[in-house]
Amino acid sequence: MSLNARLESHGRTTLVISEGRLDFGACAGFQAALEKALASAGTLPAGLLIECAGLDYVSSGGLRVFLLAARAAQRTGVTFALCALKPSVNEVFALSGFNQIIPTFADRAAALEQLP
Amino acid sequence: MNTALPARAVRTVSAPVHALADLLVGRDGPYARAFDNLVLALIVLSVVSVVLQVTADLPAWATQILRITEFLVVAVFSFEYVLRLVAAPRKLAFIFSFYGLVDLVSIAPFYFTGLDVRYLRVLRLLRLLRVLKLQRRILETTVAERTRELADRNLALEQAQKQLKAELDIARALQIAILPSTFPSKPGCDGAARMIPASTMGGDFYDFIELPDGQIGLVVADVSGKGVPAAFFMAVSRTNLRELAIHHPEPGECLASTNDVLCTQNPMDLFVTVFYCIFDPTTGVLRYANGGHNPPCVRRAAGTVEMLNAAGGLVLGAMPGSRYPNHTVQLNPGDRLVLYTDGVTEAFNPAEEAFGVERLINEICAHGDGTASDLVDRICGSVANFAGLAPQSDDITLTVLGWYA
Repeated sequence: MSLNARLESHGRTTLVISEGRLDFGACAGFQAALEKALASAGTLPAGLLIECAGLDYVSSGGLRVFLLAARAAQRTGVTFALCALKPSVNEVFALSGFNQIIPTFADRAAALEQLP
Repeated sequence: MNTALPARAVRTVSAPVHALADLLVGRDGPYARAFDNLVLALIVLSVVSVVLQVTADLPAWATQILRITEFLVVAVFSFEYVLRLVAAPRKLAFIFSFYGLVDLVSIAPFYFTGLDVRYLRVLRLLRLLRVLKLQRRILETTVAERTRELADRNLALEQAQKQLKAELDIARALQIAILPSTFPSKPGCDGAARMIPASTMGGDFYDFIELPDGQIGLVVADVSGKGVPAAFFMAVSRTNLRELAIHHPEPGECLASTNDVLCTQNPMDLFVTVFYCIFDPTTGVLRYANGGHNPPCVRRAAGTVEMLNAAGGLVLGAMPGSRYPNHTVQLNPGDRLVLYTDGVTEAFNPAEEAFGVERLINEICAHGDGTASDLVDRICGSVANFAGLAPQSDDITLTVLGWYA
């Protein structure tokens, strides 16, 4: 497994701590982890925050997983955001325009302040 | 000298016995089935016989027949026991295995009591355990059947996989075949492109589009994900973009329209990064817009390389209504434009290092003086050399435009 995802609860926000490489082989597992995190969100308002401090690489398939999660969150009314992106991953987000549709924060504290 | 003799003698005797064991109790022995059936018949016969002896008060002639029967049964069972022992790769393991003990118990009482079956009632009753020999037969038959079924299923799976692979190979060939193989012939410029698909079907594509006003549209794109869905989405993206390019003189508006169409034809939630530019071969003006793609490079005639400002919009297919700003850059005589997908910069070598943007720029610097086709060959060759034996994980796509005025 090239990617590790660990779930933590912070008030009404589920924090997903992701570490490793989100390459083609890791996409299905990561998608399942995010779906599980979304399903476990309780009553609204609720948040889903993905901490990317340990995330070294995101493939185009990996971007798709973020997009699917953002859409699913929008459908269910959950606030979705990312935080602590490494410069290389941040570049991918900026280049693909994903930072235009998914809010990103500098670090966990800044994100938790804004999320429910 | 003398010690060798008994060993040779044993071998001389054991060879025919081994051959016989292979014939009669070997797993694929030609007479194994027949011998098995004989043993089965004798098991039934002997069990009936034992039951009769114990329960019924029989006349002397009947007892005599049963004694002969018993003699016959034990003879065959003993013979079978010896053969199984010979055939067993580990003798002791066989003797003390469950069925080895069952076999032994089936014949041992006879030898202990001699031909006189009135002795030792308990030992006689032990012969009823011969029923257990039946169980072995049932078990062995079941295992053989299951093994055969499994083999059949494996074969079917293998064939299905072969067929699937053949179909995927055709699909890959089609994917490459729909890409244009020649650059529109315009005085003063040339172009070349190559797409090298990874082993799994990917979704890279490039395109040259002859626009009605004499300008040329160039596209390089990369669909997210892999496999058949990505390949289909690539075909849909390419067709729509090509169609819409004819009606949109501005690249940004063309991408916006294409994005809106793709968002309605996207059941798998895929997306595609697209760099689209329109080149005017009479003036050298290049107008472009970017939907989440890697920034292209321009090599100036002097040998310097600059990355184009690729600030743009979201990847296509992700969200309807996305907007894509237009940019313009002036190409001068001798300049080259290099479009590529991340399969180039993220080609890995066996040490898991990426080819990277820097190596790409160095290649463009060093070899940009020739034709567009030369530069494509140079870069592809350099990437292949770099990757060595490492498997190609992503499609590699390159497009080069040269302007000579």
